[in-house]
Order: sequence, then structure tokens, then C-alpha cells
Amino acid sequence: MIISIEKKKFSEAVHTVARFAERKSATLPALSSILIIAGDEGIKMRATNLETGIDLKIEGVCITKGVVAIPATILQQIAGSFTQEGKITIEHTGDTISIISGNSKSSIKTIPYEDFPSIPFPENPKNRIVLPGVLLRSLFTSIASCASSSTVRPELASIYLSIEGGVMTAVATDSFRLAEKKIPLTNKGTQGKFLIPAKNALDIAQALPDNDIIMSFDEHQCAFVGDMGMVVSRLTNAVYPDYRQIIPKESIVEAVVLRKDFESALKRTTIFSDSFQKVRMSFDPKKNTFSLFARNADVGESVEALNAQITGSALELSFNHRYLSAVLALTSSESLSLVAAGIGRPLIIKGVGDTSLLYLVSPMNQ
Amino acid sequence: MNKGDPKELWEYMLTQVELSISPANFNTWFRNSFIVKIEDGVLFVGVPSQFFKDWYLKKFHTLLLKIVRDVSYEFRNIEYLIVKDENRKAPKEVKNTRGALELPLEDFYINKSDNLNPRYTFETFVIGSFNNLAYAAAHAALERPGITYNPLFIYGDTGRGKTHLIQAIGNQYKKQYQGRKVFYLTSEKFVVDYTDSVQAGTANRFKDKYRQYDLLIMDDVQFLSKKEKTQEELFHLFNALYDTNKQIIFSSDRPPSAIPDIAERLKGRLASGMAVDIGEPDPESRMAIVRKKAASHGVLLSNEVIEYVATSMNGSIRELEGMVNSIICQAQVKGLAPDIAEVRQSLRSFSRPQKNISVKNVVDKVAEFYGIDEESIYEKTRRREVVRPRQIIMYILREDFHISYPTIGTKLGGRDHTTVIHSCEKIKREMLVDSDLLQEIQNIRTLLV
Repeated sequence: MIISIEKKKFSEAVHTVARFAERKSATLPALSSILIIAGDEGIKMRATNLETGIDLKIEGVCITKGVVAIPATILQQIAGSFTQEGKITIEHTGDTISIISGNSKSSIKTIPYEDFPSIPFPENPKNRIVLPGVLLRSLFTSIASCASSSTVRPELASIYLSIEGGVMTAVATDSFRLAEKKIPLTNKGTQGKFLIPAKNALDIAQALPDNDIIMSFDEHQCAFVGDMGMVVSRLTNAVYPDYRQIIPKESIVEAVVLRKDFESALKRTTIFSDSFQKVRMSFDPKKNTFSLFARNADVGESVEALNAQITGSALELSFNHRYLSAVLALTSSESLSLVAAGIGRPLIIKGVGDTSLLYLVSPMNQ
Repeated sequence: MNKGDPKELWEYMLTQVELSISPANFNTWFRNSFIVKIEDGVLFVGVPSQFFKDWYLKKFHTLLLKIVRDVSYEFRNIEYLIVKDENRKAPKEVKNTRGALELPLEDFYINKSDNLNPRYTFETFVIGSFNNLAYAAAHAALERPGITYNPLFIYGDTGRGKTHLIQAIGNQYKKQYQGRKVFYLTSEKFVVDYTDSVQAGTANRFKDKYRQYDLLIMDDVQFLSKKEKTQEELFHLFNALYDTNKQIIFSSDRPPSAIPDIAERLKGRLASGMAVDIGEPDPESRMAIVRKKAASHGVLLSNEVIEYVATSMNGSIRELEGMVNSIICQAQVKGLAPDIAEVRQSLRSFSRPQKNISVKNVVDKVAEFYGIDEESIYEKTRRREVVRPRQIIMYILREDFHISYPTIGTKLGGRDHTTVIHSCEKIKREMLVDSDLLQEIQNIRTLLV
């Protein structure tokens, strides 16, 4: 195999693909390597850790065909070291490959590629959706952090995607807070729902292009196909709780605050939060203020009162500040609306004018 | 080796596989697989994901088939299924140390294949004189499903526990008769499903789908009224299930004969088995329900509180549960069970929709009722047509809104509190003898709510 690729293109591709390779070294060597294929369809790079997989197309010149597997970490280090513009040539001879760039030449030992698994496409992709990759990427990156990091309950470590009536709804929760985001789709016919592991979704998001991609899925597998190639992930085989039932339908007080006020007040109050990361929130409809309070026996205490539009009755609730600040990454609205349903009930946060987001956070014991 | 035992067979196969492939390959691909079942000579191997399934088919299929054929020729083929592996579960859940309350997601798991909510079981069902008969009928139907009472028709007002009872039957049936199929749905869902299938041109698939169940539970059949085509479909489905001795259970808020706009032949069939009603729960049962509900959340309430909650409002069990939930929530926030005074305070919102009505509001409404100018109420006039409404206003403000005598006096044009007391007493006395007055006051009250 002899191929020639732009340095920049090569580095980008290796960076993207390496995320999909197995990071633990104990397993099959083929899994922690990147497979480079030069054939009739051009040059491709593949990697998989048996959870997710990628098959990426790269621009380049294929001089002679061939297949080779190289350890991902080595390739990553080499790609990271390129500084100048220019092309590199990769030559495969025997059980080594040579990467030639200008006057330098590195030879790397290859790994038997026969062990490299295939990247499975959904067997029965009856459900297909076309949507802009940039939309899906921002959806995954914003919402994945709200999923549970523990694998005890696989359904909570996943993002729930449901497609119905031309709208895709994504939900993630770790049982302390819940984020629901909706995005409109162009083709309205498809219906379906699946659970994708949040960790996989994050990896996939990095590999998605800006333009349109086709998302297809069956019961166990999903794939994202675009002009960049294909990314696949296994799906979580579990039932997602009927989360809609925990969203309070009634409210006793609503506050509308400016996002920048809320952000800076929260940032300062957080400094004084205790080991439970507790921040107290009070709604005062008489003075029309919304205030945040935190006290740490070792540091001190702080009160921040914000001008707000409050409708309803006075209320005080405490929250973990990390769950409050997480909402800022989910919406870009200028103002936020906070709706409380009472003591011990979850608080709903929405962006004013942003109907796509619903964020639910459970209070702490008083 | 016992070749009929999936576990032993798989272990034998693994030892053979280990000899023919590299250890890294073996550890990667075979650690999480197992034989799910053996059926008609076909081995079903469970694997964790599509990656495994594809690779098994591509790389190991011939090898596995050869090994298993060496064991016995009765094995014809191997198929691969993607299954959840319970063994891979991480050992312990991390304790919630952050002090945050969890969102109550556990309560809302619903089994997708039968639609039953696992929360509804007989263990959590409170039996009293009001639902004793329905409970007995449910048990009889479970004893000999499809034969004793088919169909079982349970009716009663909203919030009496119909859904709980019929879902409990479904859950119990699942436990008692494993392998048989149960399906729970509301009649509304049935209608939607039917119209969807007609629209998609898959009406036949719709028929087959519902005919496969051994126990079909349909909630709230009264909503089928006027949906003629769906009724006809239900009629055919009913016949198909009934003829094959499959149990059918319906619930409704009224007896079969009283459901309006429903085809006679269906009405007859609904009533053909056993129709039992769930009446209004008696106070003792309501107390038992409150106690059980609170205990299930780990909150122990004093008898005084239980009695207060159970008797403070008649109405559906659902509202009763709402009250208990609000008490439980309080208990969880405060860390101890609330006493009677706190409960009384917090349940005020449940016990009658009391709006904060201003004195002016009452004056407006009463003046309007009697067709007089509201200004005259505040004036010092003693005209007969004004005096009577003014007295009624005082009476209502005192009786319904508990405003003090002096306040009423000042608000109504600076009158002495003794005048107010006199007026209230007078109206109270007259109400006993004058039924017209009583009626008028009742009418005014409805205007104020």
C-alpha cells in the first residue's frame, strides 16, 4: 500500500478516529488500533471499541491498494507532532509501515489486521431520518452531561431519543435533574425511539460533520452516515422511565431573570457553598426580587438579590449549584424562567422564548 | 456432559474454542456470551451487541457449528441474539450523599410489552366492604381464567380503584401463569390504534395483534360510545377471544346497560359475564388506605392525623392519595411526621376551593343578586330593600369568611359591631323558618365560589 495525504487532513482524521479506538490495552490489539484501507472507494480509516465504531473517508491519493492496522496511540502522537504544511506518504512493506514527510521517515510495526472486526450497520434500518449534523452535534454535547455517569442503571446513563410528528426529543437524566431538548425535523413521517449510551453519543458528536447526515436505527444499533463516512453505536437495551409524569403540572411561583444576572450571581454564590454544594434560592413577589444565598462555615456567606419578575407566592428552595449552572449550557436565551411547584417538588427552568428546552432539577432537603 | 443443559454445553464449547483462537481474541469475544436456549436443534447464543453478532457470523460461526456438531448431530444450526446480560451489572449503587432529593423515576417504569404498571398489585390494594365483591370476583377470575367470569366487568365512579384492581389482576396473572400473554390498554388507545391501522391499511395486522393475548384488559370502555366502527371491531375481537376461552376484563364508570350510544349486541356481551360495582369507600376503608399509602413511603402517621385526612373530605381515593402525598412530601422535607395542626394547615387547600374574596366582591355580588345599587349598602339608609341585603352580606361575611364583627362593621360604612351581631343573629333565626331566604342565601353562595 502506498498513499499520499495532506498533513492537516491526516492529523484531523487520526484525531477523530482515535477516539473510537479501545483505550484499555488489555484487550485485542486490533481494537486499540486504527485500520487504514486504501481501495477503490478511496482512503478510509476505521476504529472500534465494540461500543462505537467509525468508518471515515479521507481525501488523498491512493497509489497502490492495501490494508494495514497501526496502534492508535502511536499514530496520534505522530499526527500531533506535525507542524508545517505539506504532504506525507505512507508506505506499507512487510510488517512495517513508513510515514515519510519531507526529509523525515518513521517506521512503525503493524498489527495483524485480520482480527479487526467489521463495523456493523443496523440489520434492519427501517427508521431513517435526515438532519443537519451540526444540530445533532450540539444536541449531544449539550445534553450528554445530564445523563448519569454510573453504569448501574444503563438507561439513565443513556440519552433517550424519541422521534414523533416531525420533532426529535432528546432526554437525559441522572435522577437528580433532567434535561429535555426538542429539535424539529424536515421529514415528518418517521417514528421511533431509542436509547444511546451518553458516552458513545459524546464520541459520535465529535465525528459529525456540519452538513446533512442520515441517522438510521433498529432495536440494537444506530448509524450516522454522511459524506464523511459512517459512525455507529450500540444502543441501550432497556426501558426508559416515563419521565413526563414527574414534570409538575401546576406551579406556585414563577421568576423571570436575566441570564447574565443569574449567571454571575450563581458564580459568586457558589464560592460560599458548603460541602453539599448547597445554594438557597428565594422568590420574593413583594419586592420582585429573586435571591441566591450560600453559607460555608469555613469561608463565610453571601447573598445575591436579582431584580426579577415574580408572579406567585414567596418560596425558598435549596439546590446543588452544579445542577443549576448546568442549565446555562443548554439554552442561549437572554432571560430564564424558573417555575417552582412547592417545597420538595422539582423546579422547572426554561429559556424565555426558547420552547425547545425543559430542565428539571430536584431540590435538596432543607 | 449433559448436552441438553445450555450451561454445561456452552462451557464445553468454550474449552474447545479456547484451543483454536488466541487468548486476546477469546477474552474479547467470548467472555460475555452464553447460550440463551436450545430449541428444535437450534442453539441460540446471546451476545452483547451488534458488533458481536456480526463478528460471530463472520468469524466463529463455522468453528462453533463444527464443535457443536461433534457433540451431537441433533444440533442443526446456531443463531445469535442480542441480549441484555444481567451478570455484567456493576456491584453496588453509589449512595446518594449529596443530600439532593431524587426525581421519583422508579415509580414510572411501565412494562412496554403488556403496558402494565408494576406499582399496581394486590399487595397494595386495600380491601373494604365497598370493594369486597369486586375483589372476590377478580380472584375467582384468576383461579380459572376465561371460564368462571368471562368477561369480568368492573364499574364504579372515578377514583375508586378500578384501574388499580384490573392492573393488579394483570400483574398477578403474569406471575401465576408464566409464558401467557397479558395486555392492558385503555379504550381510547384501542380507538387510536384502530384508526391508525385503518389509515395505514394494516387492519388485518391489527386484528391479529389483539387476538394473540390470553388476557386482555380494557380500561374505561365508556369512551367507546359513538365510535361505531371501533365497537364493531371490539365486538369481533370479543367473540374471537371469548370463543377460545381467553379472559377479558373491562372497566367503566357506569354499568354496561347505562353506557350511552353503544351497539346493543356489544352491550349485551359486556354484561354477559360478571358485572360488579365498586361503591363509595366507607370511613374505615379510607383510613386503611391512608395508613397503607403512608406506610409504603415509610412515614408513620398518628391515628388522629389519619382520621382527620380520611374524614375531612369525601370523594375519590385519588384525591385522598393526593392529600397523603402532600403530607409525605412534608414529612420528607422536615424529617418527621407532621402533627394534626400542621396537617390541618396544609390540607386546607384540598378541602374546599376557598378563594380569597374581598368584602367589596361580596357586596357586589349580593347587590347584583337583589338588583340594588351597591353604593346604597354602604350608606346610612334604612330602606327595606337595602336593609335585608346588607344583613345577608354581614351574615355571609361572618359565617363563610370568618371576618370579625368590628371589621365587618367598619367595612360596611362604619357601623357598630353590635349592629353586625344583631344582623347575623337575625338572619340565622329567620333562616330556620323562612325557606325562601335559605334558598336565596344558597344561591348567593354559589355565586361566590
